[in-house]
Amino acid sequence: MPRYVMVVDLRSCVGCQTCTAACRHANATPPGVQWRQVLDIESGEYPDVRRTFMPVGCMHCGDPPCMHVCPSTATYQRDDGLVGINYDLCIGCGYCAVACPYQARHIVHRASFAYGDQPTESEAARFDEKRVSVATKCTFCVERIDEAKEKGLTPGVHPEVTPACVNSCIAEALHFGDKQDPQSKVSRLIKDNDSFRMHEELGTDPGMYYLWDGHK
Amino acid sequence: MAGEMSGEAKKVPVYCYQCVAGPDLLVVKVKDGVALEVEPNFQLAGIHPGGGKCCVKAYGLVQKLYNPNRLLQPMKRTNPKKGRDEDPGFVHISWDEALDIVAGKLNQIRARGLTDESGYPRVAASFGGGGVPTYYMGTFPAFLAAWGPIDFSFGSGQGVKCYHSEHLFGELWHRAFTVVPDTPSCNYILSFGCNVEASGGVTSVLRHAQARVNKYTKRVQIEPHLSVTGACSAEWVPIKPKTDAAFMFAMLHTMLHEQARERLDLDFLRQYTGSPYLVGPNGYFLRERASRKPLLWDLKRNGAVPFDTPDADPALEGSFTCDGIEVGPDDQVWQHHAVSAETSFTKLVAHIKPYTPEWAEKICDIRTGTIRRVAGEYLDHAQVGATTVVDGMTLPLRPVAITLGKTVNNGWGGYECCWARTLISCLVGAIEVPGGILGTIVRLNRPATTRQASVAKGPDGFMAYPVNPTDKENWVSRPNVRNAHSMLVPLSANSPWSTALGPTHLAWMFRKESPKNWPKVTAPDLWFVYRTNPAISFADSPEVTRRIAEFPFIVCFTYARDETNYMADVLLPEATDLESTQLIPIGGTGAGEQFWDSKGFALRQPVVPPRGETREFTDIATDLAKRTGLLERYNQAINLGAVAVPLKGDNYDFELDPASAHSAEEIWDAACRSASARLTGGEETDGLGWYQEHGFKTRPISRLQWYLFPEIVKQGIRFEMPYQEQLLRIGGQLGNRLHEQGIAWWDTQLKEYQALPAWKDFPGVWEQDTVRLGGKPEEFPFWLLTARSMQYSWGSNVGIPLMDEVSKNVKGHHGVVINAGKARELGLNDGDLIEVRSALRSTRGRAVLTQGIRPDTLLMLGQFDHWATPYAKDMGTPSMNTLTSMSLELTDATGSIADIVRVGVARIAA
Repeated sequence: MPRYVMVVDLRSCVGCQTCTAACRHANATPPGVQWRQVLDIESGEYPDVRRTFMPVGCMHCGDPPCMHVCPSTATYQRDDGLVGINYDLCIGCGYCAVACPYQARHIVHRASFAYGDQPTESEAARFDEKRVSVATKCTFCVERIDEAKEKGLTPGVHPEVTPACVNSCIAEALHFGDKQDPQSKVSRLIKDNDSFRMHEELGTDPGMYYLWDGHK
Repeated sequence: MAGEMSGEAKKVPVYCYQCVAGPDLLVVKVKDGVALEVEPNFQLAGIHPGGGKCCVKAYGLVQKLYNPNRLLQPMKRTNPKKGRDEDPGFVHISWDEALDIVAGKLNQIRARGLTDESGYPRVAASFGGGGVPTYYMGTFPAFLAAWGPIDFSFGSGQGVKCYHSEHLFGELWHRAFTVVPDTPSCNYILSFGCNVEASGGVTSVLRHAQARVNKYTKRVQIEPHLSVTGACSAEWVPIKPKTDAAFMFAMLHTMLHEQARERLDLDFLRQYTGSPYLVGPNGYFLRERASRKPLLWDLKRNGAVPFDTPDADPALEGSFTCDGIEVGPDDQVWQHHAVSAETSFTKLVAHIKPYTPEWAEKICDIRTGTIRRVAGEYLDHAQVGATTVVDGMTLPLRPVAITLGKTVNNGWGGYECCWARTLISCLVGAIEVPGGILGTIVRLNRPATTRQASVAKGPDGFMAYPVNPTDKENWVSRPNVRNAHSMLVPLSANSPWSTALGPTHLAWMFRKESPKNWPKVTAPDLWFVYRTNPAISFADSPEVTRRIAEFPFIVCFTYARDETNYMADVLLPEATDLESTQLIPIGGTGAGEQFWDSKGFALRQPVVPPRGETREFTDIATDLAKRTGLLERYNQAINLGAVAVPLKGDNYDFELDPASAHSAEEIWDAACRSASARLTGGEETDGLGWYQEHGFKTRPISRLQWYLFPEIVKQGIRFEMPYQEQLLRIGGQLGNRLHEQGIAWWDTQLKEYQALPAWKDFPGVWEQDTVRLGGKPEEFPFWLLTARSMQYSWGSNVGIPLMDEVSKNVKGHHGVVINAGKARELGLNDGDLIEVRSALRSTRGRAVLTQGIRPDTLLMLGQFDHWATPYAKDMGTPSMNTLTSMSLELTDATGSIADIVRVGVARIAA
């Protein structure tokens, strides 16, 4: 089975938030709910300061703590590594949001829209009541991945079946694909570069790899 | 509206040109007549240098379309009084009434005369920066062309917010309205405050990311704060504001006095610059008497010969005794016999001698070791002598570049920075060759078809430049537009862009008080405004607002209410980005780092029908042309190319009947057909329907179009470096003309016309301005700067919640950035409400603490302080525009001031 992962090249990312906006578009999340977000991180003291842009979101962990704490079995893990939420089962208890070390889960308890209480036509067309008072998070644009097989396309290669954030990235900082395939771009990037995963020490086996030049 | 997606949804191709670094091409998913989301146009992936991607601003377009704060009907003002404190009393009216009012006013003006008693055009127009609005205003440029004289003097930030000195000097020296690195071939970039990752658009971002990751290009960001670009650079050097010229002068010192001469590209300097030209005792080139050609010393003949003597072996350095003449201002001639003359290069070497790194350290607050190291690294990477092959032609390869950012390359010190940057590049031959600095586009030189086409050899062997005349016979002795660019700024030339590249703040300033011996600066009888908001976007914006309120009749093409259209008499709501049709050229070379291997055209089209009563701009323009009796001239302007392409060419003819009114669809169909024919030599004539389905059409071009050097070689031209003899003469002549008219208030500016510019106390200009305004220097201990934001710059999109939301992820938006250590000293915490005050006035905002800024510097991103724009007025975001002043003292010779001001801060009690 494939293991879909994301590779983030920290050397490329410019913190522009295009991926954040594209994700908001593709997944029609409400204001403030950013399944993909780029952190603006400062380290050091003046004048020896580094500023780093770090895209974050659900890591689609190999061993997801959110799933283990879910009392309603709403959170599940697929064979291809993707972690999902069944909104029909989710009771919005928020345990998963607490358990996630990546702060990747969001719960909103009332509908909100860009310009206030009333949705725009675009928001109304895409509003999904099921997403209120349940946990939501990045799905790696799972619908696209599920279409890949029937279309004979490869996630991470063909835009139609690649997550929106990756498609939108203007700096080639985001990459997506199957880590089980040694020929995939993500496998080659991980092999050829220094990389780390966030909070790897927690044993979550996160599915986002960060390329950096920290050892150089 | 074509391009089937799965099911009932469609993907409609359009372009986004919300910033000068575009256009970006995208598709909008539409289902059941509702626009849902934006995606890159992947059909362009292999053609577009940014991989077909669009920047974050494009993702705001759907919210822009459905914004409930939009104006959807024409309106007129009912309160004749204007001002921030006057409710305009706007009421809805029909389009017929609105256009009748506007056309009636225009017809009255035409009957009275197109210019007023002061000689100024009675109609003025202001549009947003960088030419962006042009590609949203349909055929309105054709209406303006049909009208006659229009005054574009009233700027909305030009000269303050742009790369002003770079625009003028860049075009003078290498046809470079803006200057960028040849990033794909460049290995070392020195960026003096050039915030390319925020303002360079998707092509720049991708090129720089690929250079960093794939070939380890080193970029050193020299800037008072750690910008987004600094964050993505290998090194940040926190320089004191407005001292960049001193850093570069010290680099020059290192290169000319501390490094071996052989490290420079001596052949290039001899053959392709004015370095060997001899300079006489009065500071002008020594010239041959008969031909008046500049002389150089020929080592072969051991004598002085005209610069274009074919087999000469020019001496680069030295002092020589020879005969000749010098020609000064107003044809003043000095005859010389056996006079001692030095080469321009020798003059340069002597001029730069005092500017040691030790000298610069005290000015820039940067250690000498850093300056020397950077200069050394630049030379190390320059690869003098290396070549590469581009499209079958062998060219020099010089993979080093220096870029300049806003505030560095405008206002006092801008000339010195532009000169030093261009000169450093020339010292190693890294100009207009692979790897070096390149111009992007021409706006002042003509023809503008390509940069190469605009190159012609001048009498002194340099590129000819269309300087506004300063000789007695031809000088324009009365301003014909309100900012008087052709009188005061000879380098602003006389292209359609020139007025906007003049001292646009003078038009606002002189409205309040005209200087001595200057014709009264009148208010225009009618002022058109589109996609710009000078009431918040200019320096001293409250003062600009007061001047706007004095204008008797203002017509604003309006998306939503804002601070400028608050003073309008008529508001005309145009169908906006995703609702209307227009064709735009793509490809070739352009602003940002638009360097393509192809060129062509792309279409913007309605993805949904226009909302409310909003109307296609093209139809508005046609209607106005009809109502003002200008239809024939309007159509002729369209036929000549006001729709991005002439409608008649060598092998095609889609000209419109000048006597008839044509629909927007007819006009853009003719434009599309002409574009297709132009791209294919007449073989294809695809029209509007084809572009609606496919979005764009391109054809390949040679990459040699990126570089000017082949044209320089072909025409035997030299770069006008290092010695600015022409400028020296222009300054002298301009001074003579102005003094003849009793004008002495431009004398400080005249001092900028130096052949070899010297360092002046540039930071002191702003320190003195504080004193001039009555401030005590010790009460204003900080420099306040601004920076561009990818989410907002040029976008006219401050009312879009998605931009507000995502920009908050980038530190510094919506607040006042202050050094954390300094803030602690002052007892300030992150998020504290603080007052920031200049000698002029104060504003307030939340403190944003960071380590990434000099302790003596504050930063306010973007331009805000809105008080009328829906959504934005509730953001509470401060703007430096409230605090900066406009004055002659702050105006340099190019007519530019800079975004910098001395301020103090104080915590506001909770």
